[in-house]
Amino acid sequence: MSVGEASTDGGKWLDAHYDPVAGLHTFSSCVALADLSGDGDSRLVLGDLGSAGSGMKLKVYRGTVLTNESSLLDLPAGLVSFFMDLHEPRIPAVAVASGPCIYVYKNLRPYFKFTLPGLEINTLEQDVWRQVREGQIDPSTLKEMLESLRTSDVPLSARSLHLLSLDVEQAEQFVHLHKQQPIRRQTVITCMGTLKKSTADEDGVSCLVIGTESSHVFILDPEAFIILTKMELPAPPTRMDVTGQFDVEFRITVACRNGNIYILRRESDRPKYCIELSSHAVGLVRVGKNVVVGCTDESLQGFTQKGKKLWRTVLPAPITTMAAMDLPTRGFQGVLVGVASCEVLLFRHKNLLSSVRMPDAVSSICFGRYGREDGTLIMTTKGGGLMVKILKRTAAFEDRDGAPGPPQAQSIRLNVPKKTKLYVDQTLRERESAPAMHRAFMMDLSRLRLAAAKAMVKVLECSLTPVSSGVGQPLKINAVVQGLGPAFKLTLNVQNTAACRPVMDLAISFQYDQSLYRVRTPFLRIPLLVPGIIYPLETFVDCTSDKGVSDIIKVFVLHGGRSAPLLTAHINMPVSEGLTLN
Amino acid sequence: MEVTMDPLFIAWSYFRRRKLQQCSDICSKILEENPYDQAAWGLKTCALTEMVYIDEVEVDQEGIAEMMLDESSIAQVARPGTSLRLPGTSQGGGPTPAVRPMTHSGRPITGFVRPSTQSGRPGTMEQAIKTPRTASTARPVTSASGRFIRLGTASMLTNPEGPFINLSRLNLAKYSQKPSLSRTLFEYIFHHENDVKNVSGQNALDLAAQATEQAHFKDWWWKVQLGKCYYRLGLYREAEKQFRSALNQQEMVDTYLYLAKVYQRLDQPITALNLFKQGLDHFPGEVTLLTGIARIHEAMNNITSATEYYKDVLKQDNTHVEAIACIGSNHFYTDQPEIALRFYRRLLQMGVYNCQLYNNLALCCFYAQQYDMTLSSFERALALVANDEELADVWYNVGHVAVGIGDLTLAYQSFKLALAFNNDHAEAYNNLAVLELRRGHIQQSKALLQTAASLAPHMYEPHFNLSILSEKIGDLQSSYNAAQKSEDAFPEHVDTQQLLKQLRQHFSEL
Repeated sequence: MSVGEASTDGGKWLDAHYDPVAGLHTFSSCVALADLSGDGDSRLVLGDLGSAGSGMKLKVYRGTVLTNESSLLDLPAGLVSFFMDLHEPRIPAVAVASGPCIYVYKNLRPYFKFTLPGLEINTLEQDVWRQVREGQIDPSTLKEMLESLRTSDVPLSARSLHLLSLDVEQAEQFVHLHKQQPIRRQTVITCMGTLKKSTADEDGVSCLVIGTESSHVFILDPEAFIILTKMELPAPPTRMDVTGQFDVEFRITVACRNGNIYILRRESDRPKYCIELSSHAVGLVRVGKNVVVGCTDESLQGFTQKGKKLWRTVLPAPITTMAAMDLPTRGFQGVLVGVASCEVLLFRHKNLLSSVRMPDAVSSICFGRYGREDGTLIMTTKGGGLMVKILKRTAAFEDRDGAPGPPQAQSIRLNVPKKTKLYVDQTLRERESAPAMHRAFMMDLSRLRLAAAKAMVKVLECSLTPVSSGVGQPLKINAVVQGLGPAFKLTLNVQNTAACRPVMDLAISFQYDQSLYRVRTPFLRIPLLVPGIIYPLETFVDCTSDKGVSDIIKVFVLHGGRSAPLLTAHINMPVSEGLTLN
Repeated sequence: MEVTMDPLFIAWSYFRRRKLQQCSDICSKILEENPYDQAAWGLKTCALTEMVYIDEVEVDQEGIAEMMLDESSIAQVARPGTSLRLPGTSQGGGPTPAVRPMTHSGRPITGFVRPSTQSGRPGTMEQAIKTPRTASTARPVTSASGRFIRLGTASMLTNPEGPFINLSRLNLAKYSQKPSLSRTLFEYIFHHENDVKNVSGQNALDLAAQATEQAHFKDWWWKVQLGKCYYRLGLYREAEKQFRSALNQQEMVDTYLYLAKVYQRLDQPITALNLFKQGLDHFPGEVTLLTGIARIHEAMNNITSATEYYKDVLKQDNTHVEAIACIGSNHFYTDQPEIALRFYRRLLQMGVYNCQLYNNLALCCFYAQQYDMTLSSFERALALVANDEELADVWYNVGHVAVGIGDLTLAYQSFKLALAFNNDHAEAYNNLAVLELRRGHIQQSKALLQTAASLAPHMYEPHFNLSILSEKIGDLQSSYNAAQKSEDAFPEHVDTQQLLKQLRQHFSEL
């Protein structure tokens, strides 16, 4: 189903707010809606990625205004709001994952910092650094040894990797500066989610679920911040979705960097199911009991909890972001998909329900309760804009299945011109005098072949062609004249079209009317020609005549030790528009 | 006893027989005897003007400066169908570029070569300067230098002793009061001296301005001349004002044509069309106006309407070469070569006898299955060629026919010959590349396609072929790049779309 025939946003959404210069650069994983003060007025919390690695901020919007802003130390990888205790009033905390740490904010004040445990360090690497510290080896040896460690597929610490990227003088300094500190190997967080601890209530206490670059999934206790469960995956996770309760039964769906989706369950620390996708996942959303995945091949796919494929729809453009649209008051569940053609599409299962045109490509989508309005759609655009739309209470989405039947194109008549009477008459003539026509044609053909062969011989004798296909030097030349005059730039593109043999010992010379033109370098040496590469050779030509006439300049490609040129190019010079000053 | 005729009468007679040089010589003699002979002076002025006279209403080519440094266009990105600069997709249901070849500007090639039909607007300054500038495709820097300066220099060369009238010493105010002399003088300055406005201050514009003033702004002729001067100076809005005012006083076909030219320069084809139609109300069936409409439709890629108007032209004037040629080529490219053959035969009967016509006849014969005439027409075309470019074009077409009958050796030789005579023949490069590929010479084929693509970025074929070639040898990235260029040149090409889709699918797969 194409977008054109689907119902557009016609009257379903109210435009609440649009700020094209909000300067927000963020993704769906770093946007959350939360009632941060417990007064029933929901706020928008964003982890802004800033620009060019600086200006990362945690921003809070209330209504149309930015109410709070605090700096972040590193790029945020994920942002969630969750309840960490049972205190009254029920105020959620905000967790921001960046680098190896999770920063927990309460009442918008820093509350706790959790750092992931360090990874095991290779003993050899430790040993090498110890030797440096004790002065047994010098930095260059250290570098060599680390290099050999890396080539034997040993995961190195960040410090060692940094050292390997430096050159010798810098390396020495670096080693001097850092050799005293103990080395650590840290991983980073790639995605984050929340999991209810024991109750399914809206305001129940939740655990944090973290995916790391080291292909692990951790579940953290919300009060003590200790690792409750550690699970292992075959590849680093990129996106996750969590459902269930930790104490009862849960299910973590993780899209990984190897293009597979794994489903983890409570019982085992290994993935239970695996979905192999045909291309990388760019978005992962759970709708009811099904999982909807957006892929880089411009498709949207639906799977069951157990990894069975249900459907696949092709989208008009690449997906930029995805989010779930859950409206429990109306029992509506759908998927919002932002596509690169500046649209946001709403799907229920495989059916496109509605599309919203946007002024710019969307980079993040968030749907939920904002302020006191339940159905609010919040989007940020690629250019940094913020757009808020409210779903109308009267809006109804009707499901329409793609109508079966023959495609539209089948009923379009092709504009084939009718055969004219003249044509019919001519075919009659053809039928009647076929032998005579054939004879005349064959005779003419032989004559023309002869003429062509004669002309060809003449051309080959004078090497007039710009393409030589001789066995020795298959070459090609092509000339471009630039300029308005009296000075012209003449660029000769020479190319060796042989499969693998280079050509050497070539030169270029010119033949021209000396009363009209002056070539500044009348003899050019051609360097060794590597096959397949175009070599531009440049020279300047001055037109010395003021009569407004032009002539041909002949270019010869010569081979050392041969009198006949290999190639000739004729350049019709343009008329000079100016006069030389002399 | 010898009775001598009055020399002035002889000169007048020569003038009427268009023996202009003799006329001018006799007038010079009279003027030597009596420098104040106004009749002889006037006649000589007329004769010298006639020698270099150009019909100003004809199309002239826009120079690089006018195109690239254009300030008078109103919208930079015009809506399709309102601008000559943005031909866009064809609106009249004309043939696609797969059937009808394109010029640089993305318009289908016309049946009749006029200035500005061959190469359109280059996209960038570099392209404008770079285009393989041969004698046939070179674009002058300005229209002033393209045509007028060279003629001006030519007139100077013929008079080594100096110009006939020393303009800087002329008292224009005095001449402008004499209506009999002022008009010839104006035409002399305008056409012969080609001095619309320069530093000396004594020029056509001043003369026209003073004469208009003398006529109390009531003489339409002077207003038209003033408009012509403004047009040549590039002051299109002023020119429009003068022509409009002249039209209010006197309806003239010429004035309509001038005004339409101004609107075309201002890139307002719709206004120009309306103006032509307005002109047709006053002068029904006027051929030049009908031709003007047809040309604009053609330039806007609306071939069907253009053909309709060319047919109207033929109803009025059944020997109109341009109309016959355009209708003929349109029939050829809409799969009716037998009708095109009729039109070209008509041209032949009218006495048009050149290489291009025989070339077209040969192609029409071939595609209309009249094989006995095909190759003999090509032979005649080859015998009639005037320069190397024409020779290259004929060989290129012979190559096409050879491909059609499956004689690949002849085709190969023909394309090579086309290249030998015209090193910039991008189409020949492309076709040669395809033949090389069939022979299995992949490297050479690739090199030829690259050359074709760089010579003619407006053609989609080399890009598409390069894309297929790269895809076959496994270089998917180059294939994708080339396919994208092909898509830019011809967005509706289905094969390119399919290739792109296939490549995209390949890239997104794991």
